[in-house]
Amino acid sequence: MNFDEIEEQDGIRFSWNAWPSSRIEATKAVVPIACLYTPLKEREDFVETPIWYEPVTCKAPCRAVLNPYCQIDFRSKVWVCPFCLQRNPFPHHYKDLSNTNLPAELLPKYTTIEYNLNRVAQVPPIFFFVVDTCLEQEDLDALKSTIIASLSLLPPYAWVGLITFGTMTQVHELGFASCPKSFVFRGTKEFTGKQIQDMLGLSGGTVRPGLPHGAPGKTPAMTAPANRFFVPIKDCEFVLTSILENLQKDPWPVTLNKRPERCTGVALSVAIGLLEASFPNTGARVMLFSGGPATEGPGMVVSTELREPIRSHNEIEKETARHYKRAVKFYESLSKRATANGHTIDIFAGCLDQIGLLEMKSMVNTTGGFMILSDSFNAAIFKQSFHHLFQKDSQGHLQMGFNATLDVQTSRELKVSGLIGHATSGNKKSTYVGETEIGIGNTSSWKICSITPKTTHGIYFEVVNQPNAQFQPGSRGLIQFSTHYQHSSGQFRLRVTTIARNFAEGQSPETANSFDQETAAVLMSRIAVFKGEIDDGPDVLRWLDRMLIRLCQRFADYRKDDPHSFRLSENLSIYPQFMFHLRRSQFLQVFNNSPDETAFYRHALNRENVDNSLIMIQPTLTSYGFDIPPQPVLLDSVSIKPDCILLLDTFFHLLIFHGETIAQWRLAGYQDQEGYENFKQLLEAPILDAQDLLIDRFPVPRYIVCDQGGSQARFLLSKLNPSTTHKSNTPYGTPQGTAIFTEDVSLQQFMEHLKKLAVSGAS
Amino acid sequence: AQPGYSQPASPGYAQQGYSQPGYSQPGYTQPPPAYGQSPMQQMTNQFGNMNVAAAPPMAARTVSLMGVPPFIADLHAPQPPIHLPPHASITDSPYANADSSYMCSTINAVPSSEALLKKSRLPLSLVLAPYRRVQDGDDEVPVVTDSVISRCRRCRTYINPFVTFVEGGQRWKCNMCFLLNDVPAAFEFDSQTQQPADKWKRAELNYSCVEFVAPTEYMIRPPQAPAYVFVIDVSYSAVQSGMLATAARTILDSLDRIPDDEKRTKIAFITVDSSLHFYNLNANLTEPQMLVMSDPDDIFLPQPSDLLVGLSESKAVISALLEKLPEMFKDTLVVTNALGSALQAAHKLVSPNGGKIVCLQSTLPTVGTGALKPREDVKLLGTAKETVLLNAASPFYKSFAVDCSRSQVACDMLIFGGQYSDVATLSCLPHYTGGQTYFYPGFNASRSEDALKFAHEFSELLAERIGLEAVIRIRSSRGLRMSAFHGNFFIRSTDLLALPNVPRDQSYCVEVSIEDDIKTSTVCFQTALLHTTCFGERRIRVVTLCLPVTSNMSELYSSVNQQAVAAYLANKGVERALSSKLDDARDAIVNKLIDMMGVYKTHVLGSGQGATPQLTAPDNMKMLPALAFALIKHDALRQTSQIPTDLRSNAMNLLRTMPIQLLLPYIYPNFYSLHNMPPNAGEMSENGVVFPPTMNLTAEKLEAHGCYLLETGQNIYLFVGRGVVPQLCVDLFDTKSYEGLRAGKITLPSLETSLNRKVNLLIAKIREMRRGNYYPQLYLIKEDGDPALRMWFMSHLLEDRTDNVMSYQQFLQHVKDKVNYKPNK
Ligand SMILES: [Zn+2]
Ligand SMILES: [Zn+2]
Repeated sequence: MNFDEIEEQDGIRFSWNAWPSSRIEATKAVVPIACLYTPLKEREDFVETPIWYEPVTCKAPCRAVLNPYCQIDFRSKVWVCPFCLQRNPFPHHYKDLSNTNLPAELLPKYTTIEYNLNRVAQVPPIFFFVVDTCLEQEDLDALKSTIIASLSLLPPYAWVGLITFGTMTQVHELGFASCPKSFVFRGTKEFTGKQIQDMLGLSGGTVRPGLPHGAPGKTPAMTAPANRFFVPIKDCEFVLTSILENLQKDPWPVTLNKRPERCTGVALSVAIGLLEASFPNTGARVMLFSGGPATEGPGMVVSTELREPIRSHNEIEKETARHYKRAVKFYESLSKRATANGHTIDIFAGCLDQIGLLEMKSMVNTTGGFMILSDSFNAAIFKQSFHHLFQKDSQGHLQMGFNATLDVQTSRELKVSGLIGHATSGNKKSTYVGETEIGIGNTSSWKICSITPKTTHGIYFEVVNQPNAQFQPGSRGLIQFSTHYQHSSGQFRLRVTTIARNFAEGQSPETANSFDQETAAVLMSRIAVFKGEIDDGPDVLRWLDRMLIRLCQRFADYRKDDPHSFRLSENLSIYPQFMFHLRRSQFLQVFNNSPDETAFYRHALNRENVDNSLIMIQPTLTSYGFDIPPQPVLLDSVSIKPDCILLLDTFFHLLIFHGETIAQWRLAGYQDQEGYENFKQLLEAPILDAQDLLIDRFPVPRYIVCDQGGSQARFLLSKLNPSTTHKSNTPYGTPQGTAIFTEDVSLQQFMEHLKKLAVSGAS
Repeated sequence: AQPGYSQPASPGYAQQGYSQPGYSQPGYTQPPPAYGQSPMQQMTNQFGNMNVAAAPPMAARTVSLMGVPPFIADLHAPQPPIHLPPHASITDSPYANADSSYMCSTINAVPSSEALLKKSRLPLSLVLAPYRRVQDGDDEVPVVTDSVISRCRRCRTYINPFVTFVEGGQRWKCNMCFLLNDVPAAFEFDSQTQQPADKWKRAELNYSCVEFVAPTEYMIRPPQAPAYVFVIDVSYSAVQSGMLATAARTILDSLDRIPDDEKRTKIAFITVDSSLHFYNLNANLTEPQMLVMSDPDDIFLPQPSDLLVGLSESKAVISALLEKLPEMFKDTLVVTNALGSALQAAHKLVSPNGGKIVCLQSTLPTVGTGALKPREDVKLLGTAKETVLLNAASPFYKSFAVDCSRSQVACDMLIFGGQYSDVATLSCLPHYTGGQTYFYPGFNASRSEDALKFAHEFSELLAERIGLEAVIRIRSSRGLRMSAFHGNFFIRSTDLLALPNVPRDQSYCVEVSIEDDIKTSTVCFQTALLHTTCFGERRIRVVTLCLPVTSNMSELYSSVNQQAVAAYLANKGVERALSSKLDDARDAIVNKLIDMMGVYKTHVLGSGQGATPQLTAPDNMKMLPALAFALIKHDALRQTSQIPTDLRSNAMNLLRTMPIQLLLPYIYPNFYSLHNMPPNAGEMSENGVVFPPTMNLTAEKLEAHGCYLLETGQNIYLFVGRGVVPQLCVDLFDTKSYEGLRAGKITLPSLETSLNRKVNLLIAKIREMRRGNYYPQLYLIKEDGDPALRMWFMSHLLEDRTDNVMSYQQFLQHVKDKVNYKPNK
């Protein structure tokens, strides 16, 4: 079974590709039946030959979409729904249907299909910039020019709005022709949605109507009062550019021992209040650019007193972080309002310190927004990543969909347990909902305010068949995923993926053989991180260990109580290694990172596909040496060699590491001398490879070039398996590679432990 | 070099035994033009002040009033001279005593005891306009620039022409408390030029009105820069009436007139409807940035700087804003207004500096702080309850004004009423801050007359070279005390008047009481106005008035300044109307008149009590009954249910702030016949424009074929009889006939006819001849035209009986009866 091909076609990978046939068997399998699904995975054929009709669906209440797994009776023009087994007549225009004349949705290559529905959004996508002005001048200038440059990347019909904030929040009325005009909100006050609407003149008839702005088509929304604030980019590019160019640092004085007063919370609540009043259930994204923590008003993360440091993991854990809970609650309430209206929130942080991303993360994570963390808005990471957001597809459309709902339907043996990813519950308690809850459960439908072709969700299932149910050989389970969304062109679309997998009987090895260890590792990582958000760190690690041991007990080859007999089959062999690295990763070992960084890393893990997630969990290391082609090497300290260059990819960092000798030569400048062309090429090879990696990576990773022994090298060392620590007594005499100063157990020790516990049968 | 300094000292000092090098003959044969005086006044004052030949005061001629019309020809005649004993002033300068336009007394002599004052029933009050504007033909007030300010150590009186030098000129004796004070060395020797100085030439010893440049001791901070915060109503009515556009255009056109000598003047704009709009006017911007604050219940400044900006630095962006303002709000439908909140914001903006809030208000403030209700109830008009409507509806405006006063902020209110505007409440702001109120009822800028009047007055207001962060204190000789104050200011401590701004031509009235018998032959009053000029100098303007003391009732009566008494009665009438009721105000005025007439009859003429067929007054008081009568028939006080509250309030404001020059025609209009003017009327002469003779204010003067002009200083009326000859219509109005004339506000065309030229000249002269910013509006009244207009015009013909109010003759009869039968205590 080729996982990659399936992923290519359906954007999906399952932990198990043959499913235990009963609840008990499924439980024994330890890793749940689950998938990583990228609903909008790019399919060139959808662009080349788009489907311009509505799907044929099963009778209510089933409503499953016609798919290649349906039984067709060509003579009577009837199809049988594999989910509910109802017979459905084909609609009249399918009358010419025959074995050789099949509509696309019945062809095997269209297990995933996209319908262009007969519906267009009334309001184009809205981009609402929320810009912090408490920045250093250089940073502010960089941010201004980045945003200005992005305007040309937006579709000209898109609507834009602008809020700037510092001590106060200003909503700019872009539709006002006479001069730059903005509404000012006090930064210290909590405003209800109603108050915001009143203050912006969106509620009564007492406000002058919006200025006519040549918007195409006369729809009610076009003349709404809020059109004063949201104007098509083509009509306001000049105005918006000039406002941004004239944007000054927050003018309120900041004394030496204080942080600037920054009312991020008010700015966001005004943005959300304005959108909620004017454009509910419309594709819109609030793009927050913040250069520091909120220091006043609702959602404040730290006070303006510099002597009060911003909260740490430690304080949060001990519940001594003064503002933490209140801030989290505030931003969660904003998240709820945004998701209820289908609006997205992005956060772009340009700050050496923290901005309170941890407190604010729910807004991004529940709405499918973007998060970029950079040291400054002047940093390439920010500028390039930000522009990356506006990449277009081959048709010139932005690669983002809005206001999506993902519905899952299962055949009767299966139920859905939940979803882990950037979404919020659609609260659809259908018959497909299972008893077990994993992630966002208790629903078979999720709302995804913003979705890209890369957005990947982990979706978890359970088998509900009782073991006494008679097993039918060759029987299979089906799952249908329907994603309804607003394409950035305004077109409403429905993406439907229907998959079927066999049930394996009892103890048959079919299940074990169908294990996708990479996908399973990522799915378990998402569960672990989800648990980590709620539970204590050590509890999560214990849970992970327990699950790993039980999995090995169930599927490894061993003799009881004989660790040396322990063998894992190939498709399970590197799973423990993934778990080892996951345990050591920034996702679960939070104390090496700031709370904001933790929030950011976890955010990234929850949106990426299997390959990218694995890089995050277990970074890749490539070695470049003379006379040998570049090759992947163990993420282990033994891989460090004086005459090799290493390229480390942690997803978030790209690091080129020159071994001692290479570093010396480079310093001596051999690469520029005649006769050393091969050295020059060697130096360049990892750089070129790194550039390749950069192309598709979002956010743009931090790029580090360092030498063995240099201070930057710690980034590499922290990721390596400490097989040779300063304490290790290597049986091979002089330690190879580089000793890493750590108390961590090495992979070898970890595996020894695992074997011992797995064979002991104590569990 | 002030003109005054070249004036040789008068001979007085020589007799006191001082020698004076380089002294030449007394030069009053060629006096330099007196400052601030018309030629006629000048003559009078010179007679008054010329102590050398002062004749002993004589009892005034007695005039019979009954059966003759008011002596209007004498209304503007000189008031009784001040008879000072010889050499009362140290230099005998002809300018030693106060010009009545700066300060005058209701009686040009002071009773020697409280008992006498009581018995006389005369009011003893000062009427002042210390900062009055200096117009063409007036001399500047001399300025003492060397910062040598000599003051009495005890009573803090400024050295003045009425002190005396003793001990060989080493010391001066205070004319108020008689303490001996050292004469500053600088009086004798100029340390800057290292030359002996001539103290006799010092302005403060020669001029009753003089200005000192104050040294730093007179400052608690550097002199304040002028600052103007415009609070402009931009609600529906403000936009629809054209107020906004006219205001913006006027400010734009007047930017170069706003005082900014030092390039320090600051300016800010807040526009207000249901929301407040601020404007970032940073000089580096090419266009203003508008900042809206929509919560009128929570006022804060949207940014710490760039809202109040340098006028000259930011002129380009200010101009850009003013160009755009009308456009910005042209489609507004907002009918509510948050003035109070805007005022609070303006105060926050300007209070660190101090300055002026100029409010242009078209709508009744209905939301936010200080919201008002349309409370006018026509059923209350003309009843005792009318007073409620004439008093402030909300305590906010007074308390806010007091806050303003504390931080040196003044408020001017320009009120544009389409509907009820609550002038009574809104004018509290100017009242307590030294500001000014202007009222434009029914304003509609599409009528060019409305736009012109407002633009003219507003532009003058902006150009006015006001004084800033000022206090006034009035000192007087022993035995006298300032007991009550009337006018626009806030009384800080018992006798210190605080005026964040001093407008040029506002009048203040101060009542004086006598606490101890006065033993001296003269007494002095000295008004000191400490202020910052709009060009950034701290100065003290000092006005000293010296009056003789008398124990003679007859002399008192012959010294009465009936114009000043009228001003006093106007102030007291308004005060009474607001504190009690309109009936009481009128009664108080009439009773005061009766009292005075009675005392005159019994104690001056000695005719005893009992009936006499005549009612008589001294010559200098013969217009007083008419003035009192005019007051009780004035819009401010008349018994009627026809005057809307706003008009009434505005009239009251004018009565209590107008200097005498403006007040007199406002009380007692000038009435001329145009169709039969003498040949030289309406022509220029050596003495300026020649006016036709004034006529008594009675409809008897109106002939059906006639054409008349009546003016109050606030308005000018052209009345055309229905039988007017068509040629007059052609000549004057360029209209074929009477039927073609349209009544109402008009602009008289400029024609090549003699009549038109003359009338235009008269109107132009009326509009410019008085101090103040007012631009009288011209109305055409047709005899059988719009009845309301006609009634309005006729109401100025006050000698006639109107409605339920008696005629002048009936009034005299009433006064006479009371005088005859009401026993005097
Ligand atoms: Zn079905
Ligand atoms: Zn004294």
